[in-house]
Amino acid sequence: MSVSKLSLGEADLLGLYRVMIRIRVFENAVRRLMREGKMPARFGLYTGQEAVAAGVSAHLGPGDQIGSTHRPLGHLIAKGCDLNRLMAELCGKATGFNGGKAGPYHLFDPSVGVLGANGVVGGSVPMTAGYALADQLRANGFVSVSYFGEGGSNQGGVQETLNLAACWKLPIVFVCENSSPEVQRMLGHEIDYPQLSVDRVSLRAANYGMPGSTHDGWDVLEVYGAAGRAIRRARRGGGPTLLEFRVHQLEGNLEGRIEANEKDRAWCPIELFRVKLAKEDILTPKIDEKIREGEADAVQRAIDYAMSSPEPELDEAYTDVFAKGGR
Amino acid sequence: MREITFGEALNEAHMLEMEHDPSIIVFGENVSSSWMAATRGLKERFGRERVRDAPITETAFIGAGVGAAIAGMRPIVELMLVDFGLVAMDQILNQMAKSTYMSGGAVKVPMTLRVLTGAGTSSGATHSESLHGLFAHMPGIKVIIPSTPFDAKGLLISSIRDDSPKVFMEHRLLYPLKGYVPEEPYTVPLGVANLVREGTDVTVVATGLMVHEAVKAADELKPKASVEVIDPRTLVPLDEKAILDSVRKTGRLVVVDEDYRFCGFSAEVAAMAAEKALSYLDAPVVRVATPNVPLPYNPSLERHLLPSKEKIVGAIKGLMG
Repeated sequence: MSVSKLSLGEADLLGLYRVMIRIRVFENAVRRLMREGKMPARFGLYTGQEAVAAGVSAHLGPGDQIGSTHRPLGHLIAKGCDLNRLMAELCGKATGFNGGKAGPYHLFDPSVGVLGANGVVGGSVPMTAGYALADQLRANGFVSVSYFGEGGSNQGGVQETLNLAACWKLPIVFVCENSSPEVQRMLGHEIDYPQLSVDRVSLRAANYGMPGSTHDGWDVLEVYGAAGRAIRRARRGGGPTLLEFRVHQLEGNLEGRIEANEKDRAWCPIELFRVKLAKEDILTPKIDEKIREGEADAVQRAIDYAMSSPEPELDEAYTDVFAKGGR
Repeated sequence: MREITFGEALNEAHMLEMEHDPSIIVFGENVSSSWMAATRGLKERFGRERVRDAPITETAFIGAGVGAAIAGMRPIVELMLVDFGLVAMDQILNQMAKSTYMSGGAVKVPMTLRVLTGAGTSSGATHSESLHGLFAHMPGIKVIIPSTPFDAKGLLISSIRDDSPKVFMEHRLLYPLKGYVPEEPYTVPLGVANLVREGTDVTVVATGLMVHEAVKAADELKPKASVEVIDPRTLVPLDEKAILDSVRKTGRLVVVDEDYRFCGFSAEVAAMAAEKALSYLDAPVVRVATPNVPLPYNPSLERHLLPSKEKIVGAIKGLMG
């Protein structure tokens, strides 16, 4: 999609670019820390999908909620999570959002509407309908965005929730990131039997009486446009939409570079957007460098914060099983 | 003293709490109809926004309850039968139970999952279970089992006001049971057992419908045996002290449980007595619990498996020598 088609100012365009750079730089750092054994675990990253989180979250404020997946860092960063506490949580530190109990798969940051990464494929989707239900009852104009992948789209709970959301006309947008748009894959490996009985996940929207459409998830402006229409519709009480974004998970061995490896460039949302913005003279090399340096500094501060943070006290293992108090 | 049924007591708890707390919402299958006593009239009084029917998709609507609770509502979600909750185990045992812990206390899930339970109606293996042991086993869920109309109202009000996730288990054969229930709102605290009958010879721990079987057994054995009956009322949190104090007094323990015997609540209470009161025991702990067999449709076969007054009497007689 061309820049001129959207009513976005230069600052907004550069904002989208900056968020994508932030995700890429942060994840590259996480990748390095995992390789160096400085993370308690290895986990899935979002490289190549940055345009989806950036384009969707550009329409969301802190009062809007998201339910995420077990590949959540892009969603969390785009939604505004503090990088220091995010990195600390990934390192299992006491200063993390959840005191080191969540890690990447179960992270909650209610202060910016991040109501959960989720360790179960499709697990956050029914809960996200609950966030939308609360907003509907309060008539506050907030929307919820429910992220899942093409694998998760088959889960009974996801299909049930599409139906429930349509029956209750909830202010929710379902965002399926289909990471195997050409050849069906599971966990990165080609599979012998297909896992989707249809070519496009969005075709299933019709089963539940809601609009559905498929878009190029590597084009941040297309994501921005499609998400904007669905989110505005949900905000004004029009009910749910199922958006499918085709994405390519890119090779992770970037050696600290932002640029994707040569063979992946055609699908790299950052590279595609950079070229587009440069052509329009919106992104000069100088501005680009400034953005990259700024994000690299922020990520380095997050690493320093996490590394210098204390481990949780062992007694903390026993706290928070139940909520404190009640009314 | 006013007497109402167990079902009416549950209904009254809903009415009183919803009246003053707009964050309480109710949903589940058929909750808008007059079919079930507990939710009868709620839609008419509080409207279809707050009291809404859900499609028969337990994962979706229980999950929506979890989400609404995290988002600050206080949902009461009705599960028609506990057996049907098994299709929604992820949302109950992963998301509802663990979100508070996983988030390091950043979110809470003040949700009450009301479930109907229980055998004795020839309903077969997927419509008859208790399963409180399953929920009590999982960290993070409070498990509440009222046995009287008075406790039904007081425990439900406590549950609604509590900030943790709860599974509130209602034996369907208790619904018509009548008993004293004050008209005003009141709470029965979670984690405090009820000393149903005082006695000196043997302690019987029982929950739900089985409390009544235990009381019948105690009556039948009078005056030959003095039977103390304790209803924990909540399995999580468990009033260990009440049980152990009683065992230390009587020296004998019978645990009655409609749930399955193996790895169940009855085993937990027996282990607790062995760990913490062994020197006080004059005889081995006896369990009267449903064997690990799916419950059959045929009424004679079903009765053959379930705990009953007769089996409790037999167990106590065996203990008393």
